[in-house]
Amino acid sequence: MPDERPRVAYLFLSPWVAGALLLTVGPMLASLYLSFTDYDLFTTPKWIGLENYRRLFTSDDRFVSSVWVTLRYVLISTPLKLAAALGVALLLNRASRAQGVYRSAFYAPSLLGTSVAVALVWRVIFDRDGVVERSFDAVGLHTGGWTTNPRLALLVIVLLAVWQFGAPMVIFLAGLKQIPPELYDASAVDGAGWWRTFRSITVPMLSPVILFNLVLETIHAFQSFTPAFIISNGRGGPSDSTLFYTLYLYQRGFTEFRMGYASAMAWLLLLVLAGLTAVVFRTARLWVFYSGQEQR
Amino acid sequence: MRPRISWNAVRLAIVTLTTASLILGGAAACGEEDGTVNLRFTWWGNADRAKLTEQVIDRFEQQHPGITVEGTYAEFTAYFQKLTTEVGGGGAADILQMDYRYVREYADRNALAEFTGNAAVDTSKLSDALLAGGTINGKLFALPLGQNTQGFTYDPTVWASAGLTAPALGWTWNDLVAATQRISDITSRRPYGVVDFGPIEDWFEVWLRQRAKSLYTEAGQLGYTADDVTAWWELTTRLRTSQAATEADLTVKLDGSQANDPMAKKLAASGFGYDSGMTPQTFEIFGREIALAPFPSDSDALGQYAKPSMQVCVFKRSKHPKEAAQFIDFFLNDPEAAKILALSRGMPVNSDNRAAVGQTLTGPPKVAYDYEQLVGPKLTDAPPPPPKGAGAVKTAFQRVYDDVLFDRATPREAAERLIKEAQQAIAE
Repeated sequence: MPDERPRVAYLFLSPWVAGALLLTVGPMLASLYLSFTDYDLFTTPKWIGLENYRRLFTSDDRFVSSVWVTLRYVLISTPLKLAAALGVALLLNRASRAQGVYRSAFYAPSLLGTSVAVALVWRVIFDRDGVVERSFDAVGLHTGGWTTNPRLALLVIVLLAVWQFGAPMVIFLAGLKQIPPELYDASAVDGAGWWRTFRSITVPMLSPVILFNLVLETIHAFQSFTPAFIISNGRGGPSDSTLFYTLYLYQRGFTEFRMGYASAMAWLLLLVLAGLTAVVFRTARLWVFYSGQEQR
Repeated sequence: MRPRISWNAVRLAIVTLTTASLILGGAAACGEEDGTVNLRFTWWGNADRAKLTEQVIDRFEQQHPGITVEGTYAEFTAYFQKLTTEVGGGGAADILQMDYRYVREYADRNALAEFTGNAAVDTSKLSDALLAGGTINGKLFALPLGQNTQGFTYDPTVWASAGLTAPALGWTWNDLVAATQRISDITSRRPYGVVDFGPIEDWFEVWLRQRAKSLYTEAGQLGYTADDVTAWWELTTRLRTSQAATEADLTVKLDGSQANDPMAKKLAASGFGYDSGMTPQTFEIFGREIALAPFPSDSDALGQYAKPSMQVCVFKRSKHPKEAAQFIDFFLNDPEAAKILALSRGMPVNSDNRAAVGQTLTGPPKVAYDYEQLVGPKLTDAPPPPPKGAGAVKTAFQRVYDDVLFDRATPREAAERLIKEAQQAIAE
């Protein structure tokens, strides 16, 4: 009964489609509508046109500072995390019997990373009188608590992000295994050193994977919420130094009841992310090499 | 070879599974068919308060076999973060402990049920001033769970060993500055003289009232100016820079929980608080005896008032407003319940219960009770419930002060920013 097959396929797809429509597309459209309204969660939304967006750009200092905090976080944490991931992947790529163990060990933090528990542990470690402060004190450096210091609090969250390099690392490792060993043999015969080999073979051959990780990790970093929420106790403090865009969005929506305003912020973030991703893909032509293609 | 699958069998399986899940889902939704009413009650507080509350719940359940009450609790900040989400999503508990500052916010947004008709509660033994705190536009939306007042908690041993006379009615802000400075100096800041009180709007309110001002006017506008906030933050900044008050590292973490209270961790010798903080285990948790004194004042006005320490409301979408009201009635008026709770949520609001409970107290609650007797005649009526947006202003007050703590803004600059933000928050 060949004519039955597509229908059955749809039938089996239906739970996913229903989920996507009800839990993703529906709420997204609702939030698009709400972004043009004054909505406090309890009463009927009131249409105010572009007012929310206008306020965002003209009279909200905290919005501006949250954008700076987020940009700083993305620009610092993403390259560091990718560098750590690539570095460890290179080390692990050498044939070794313990490779599986190491791979799991380095991957573990990624699995735990988004969890509340790890963020809580992180907070305790970097808190006033925590392990980190005591260690620094022991060698004569008085730092004070890191999470209570506006100059260091963001760094704590960056370190947490970098520590979770496992997911991109596993992807890098898979990419490294795809590079034909003949290329390395040839370069060895030609007398190329480690750096030369890395620059001329590893990086170009790995560039599609680098692009993939870069896009994914950038988006993740922009959307990061849990660590900042937990480590700053929901405040984004001290002194708004960890006020991530998403955290401010949450505060606006759920503690100040300005859901329309929060929706406008969410859509703005979506647009910016889409724009950034488009830019990365455009520039990718300049540095990403797909084997089997003519080099541009 | 193509596997032979009977599509009819697949269809049958799917229909069966779907139906089964619908039936199961339906059964789960109708869990109360057997006639018992399940109420959920949520509050903020520590484990100590939770233990007593559970005892009262048990007693209520014994006397009302058809009703079960499930209690959950959290610390203050976490509690309100969670509550807003739950109320917004429609899944909040039936019975909500409420703060005076937020009651109008929730009532105006149509999230609370009125205590009326068969959901009424006996309020004949409650004072009108306390009931007024839950009356919005003539309708009763919140009942007081207890009454408390602001105060100055201090460690009398440290005070005495520094050669200081105990703070008492009539002491001034200069006395406070001198005393806390002396303690910090003598003990080399172990403990600090006082917990930095700059970030807490509640203590600023008392200070304002001593100057015949208020947080909000009758019309719901801001009752103070940038000058007032500047003066307040200049005072606390002076204390912090002279190290009489706690360092920024400690102050920045204040969130109403004991875990982050320098007083409770013996890192400070005094601090402002509510007398309802004196629970039976306070001395054990704090590791020493704590005494209560009135606020310092430079005028005749003490500024403190009899406040509904906590209120209780019924969620608008509760399916059992009648039973919820029954439970609240029990919580407020049952003499045995009052004895169990004692002062864990402030002075009992039922006047008969208050007198009865007063006879039986020992330890920290006794300290609070005696303190209430002392300052009672000086207390004034509570201000009307603050306007919508007041919650955001309280949060902003603490957040903006962060900038003062870390020398990122002068008290004047920060105060002006606060006023701007506050006006936005209550206007929107």
